[in-house]
Amino acid sequence: MWAYFLKRMFLIIPTLIGITLVSFLIMQMVPGGPVEQALQRMKMAAQTEGGPGFGSGALQTAVTSAELENIKKYYGFDQPVLTRYFRWLKNLLRLDLGTSYTYEKPVSTVIAGRIPVSLTFGLTGLFLTYLVCIPLGIKKALKHGETYDHWTSILVFLGYSIPAFALGVLLIVFLAGGSFLALFPTSGFVSDYFEDLTFLGKVLDILHHMFLPLVCYTIGGFATLTLLMKNSLMEELNKDYIRTALAKGLTYRQAVFRHGLRNGLIPIVTNIGMIIGVILSGSFLIETIFTIDGMGLLGYQSIVNRDYPVALGLLVISSLLMLVGRIISDFCLVLVDPRIRFR
Amino acid sequence: METALLEVKNLAVHFQTAGEPGGAGIAGGVSAGVIKAVDGVSFQLLPGETFGLVGESGCGKSVTALSLLKLLPTPPAILAGGEVIYRPEKKRPGKDLWQLPHGDLLKLRGKEISLIFQEPMTSLNPVMKIGRQIGEALRIHSAEKTPAAKEIRREVLAMLTRVGIHHPERAYDAYPHELSGGMRQRAMIAMALICRPKLVIADEPTTALDVTIQAQILELLKELQASYHLSLLLITHNLGIIAETAHRVAVMYMGRIVELASVKELFHNPLHPYTLGLFSSIPRLDKEEALAAIPGMVPDPLRLPAGCYFAPRCPKAMEVCHREYPMSREVAPGHTVACWLQEK
Ligand SMILES: Nc1ncnc2c1ncn2[C@@H]1O[C@H](COP(=O)(O)OP(=O)(O)OP(=O)(O)O)[C@@H](O)[C@H]1O
Ligand code: SF4
Ligand SMILES: [Mg+2]
Repeated sequence: MWAYFLKRMFLIIPTLIGITLVSFLIMQMVPGGPVEQALQRMKMAAQTEGGPGFGSGALQTAVTSAELENIKKYYGFDQPVLTRYFRWLKNLLRLDLGTSYTYEKPVSTVIAGRIPVSLTFGLTGLFLTYLVCIPLGIKKALKHGETYDHWTSILVFLGYSIPAFALGVLLIVFLAGGSFLALFPTSGFVSDYFEDLTFLGKVLDILHHMFLPLVCYTIGGFATLTLLMKNSLMEELNKDYIRTALAKGLTYRQAVFRHGLRNGLIPIVTNIGMIIGVILSGSFLIETIFTIDGMGLLGYQSIVNRDYPVALGLLVISSLLMLVGRIISDFCLVLVDPRIRFR
Repeated sequence: METALLEVKNLAVHFQTAGEPGGAGIAGGVSAGVIKAVDGVSFQLLPGETFGLVGESGCGKSVTALSLLKLLPTPPAILAGGEVIYRPEKKRPGKDLWQLPHGDLLKLRGKEISLIFQEPMTSLNPVMKIGRQIGEALRIHSAEKTPAAKEIRREVLAMLTRVGIHHPERAYDAYPHELSGGMRQRAMIAMALICRPKLVIADEPTTALDVTIQAQILELLKELQASYHLSLLLITHNLGIIAETAHRVAVMYMGRIVELASVKELFHNPLHPYTLGLFSSIPRLDKEEALAAIPGMVPDPLRLPAGCYFAPRCPKAMEVCHREYPMSREVAPGHTVACWLQEK
């Protein structure tokens, strides 16, 4: 079985090459790349030099072919696509993701700057989702068809159906000083006076800032996981082995928690890998609304600005997480379900 | 007659069915109503005897078995009436299991009265090791709060050996799917016997198994029943199994017992036309056969005939049979039949 997982690990490499190669090629075809942008900037500069409005038409062809070559060389576009791809890949092996066009800093530095924020949101979100959904799903299963089951269903589906950005705007308006209460800060991840706080103060400050965005991040995911937990447990509770457990003299609660729950958790545990895949992805809309410098915003801007090195770097990270997440899922499945053995 | 260990009197278990919209009683579509799955069943289980309960699929055998210990989920089941008097000590009066406080009933379940189910694969928890599942019964019924794990393990291993498992250590640490069907059923039997119960209810314990394994398991049950002096309520639809294992037998049809006698008496002198029908479709122990050879169909449980439930299929049905249900009559000592033919 270890051989199986080792094989899966090795398979990540060709998969990753496939994903990045396709993305690399597609990026070359999209208009508005860095060379064109540089030319645009030069034109603008030339126009300003010539004075606004005066005979600018004459200067339009100011960029000589030599200069164009220089620009291309600067961005590495003087080489054929595949050559460039393999150079990028070789650098990747040395963990060098290149230099961001926009920030003119190493891509790894740019991305690393965003990781703490996004990872904090991702991990707390994950933790919170499981913390809410598992007990809620269990209770709903035990109270299936009762009033409690109905109103919690309404709540989670409300959370599911409301778009995160709309909720974000609503929360800011009502709770973060928009028009009513000002219980939470509108934006940012820490306060201006963050450095002066004690450790506990820092934690509280971050939590205070995180609360509203976190609600937006997680609320849509509650429904799926809660219902998955509920349905999976209810299915188990109808099985024969529960009756066996009762016949042994266990109370219903004991039968549920000692026998049904572990079986009912199997699909939930396998879900973990999927969530790990998106743990760093952030959300562009939520980050924009709450002015958080996270991965979602970075990814969006890197594509709009054609900042290919950053876009590719993010792609590598998220693909890697996704692929590793799958393997973790399967591994968890083996841990919790003795019937499953991979070869 | 000896004092009964378990006396079941007029047991009635119903099911409330929701039905389907538009199906109210008209052909096609399922109508809503109450199904009388068990409708006035009475019998006694003597200490140390094997009592067979035989009948076609759907006649209410499992419902009877599960309702004794109140193991049916309610709803949909309705424990409509009757008494289940359990009398473990001859000198003291018995207690009605249905009236017992829930906590007291839990103490009896698995300890004094235990069950063996038909399908050992689904009746065992797939993610818990066999040994733990068997030991759990010991653990929850132990007098001490935290019984010694070693002691429990020792007892479970001994019981696994007792039920004929050759590598008890290996079986102890196996998950259900790692054992063969026969081994699983042996483990199930070990689980039922681990607390040394007085009464074991076995609901079609061999139906799910291969024919050769069936014989082995039956042999084992018979041997354990004798050596532990168990009362065994053996449910089956196979008269051959009854002939091999039971001392007395009740024949069930549509939620009622139609004939009850000692196995000897029943096999030599069957009186109820339904019993006769069962014999004519005789299944042999080495050949699994459904009891479908009786002509006609089982009536819709929601629209029962006014008279004898067997009348629509009975070759000897008379006018009175369609009008009124026959009372049970003792035609010979210990042999009762519910049939108008016996009324003259
Ligand atoms: N959960 C339920 N809901 C509604 N009706 C039920 C339910 N369980 C059992 N019944 C009814 O009770 C009747 C008797 O069922 P039971 O399981 O006792 O039959 P059985 O004699 O054990 O048959 P088998 O040989 O197939 O095990 C069935 O015909 C069915 O109509
Ligand atoms: S009572 Fe009548 S219908 Fe019923 S079994 Fe006897 S003879 Fe047949
Ligand atoms: Mg049954």
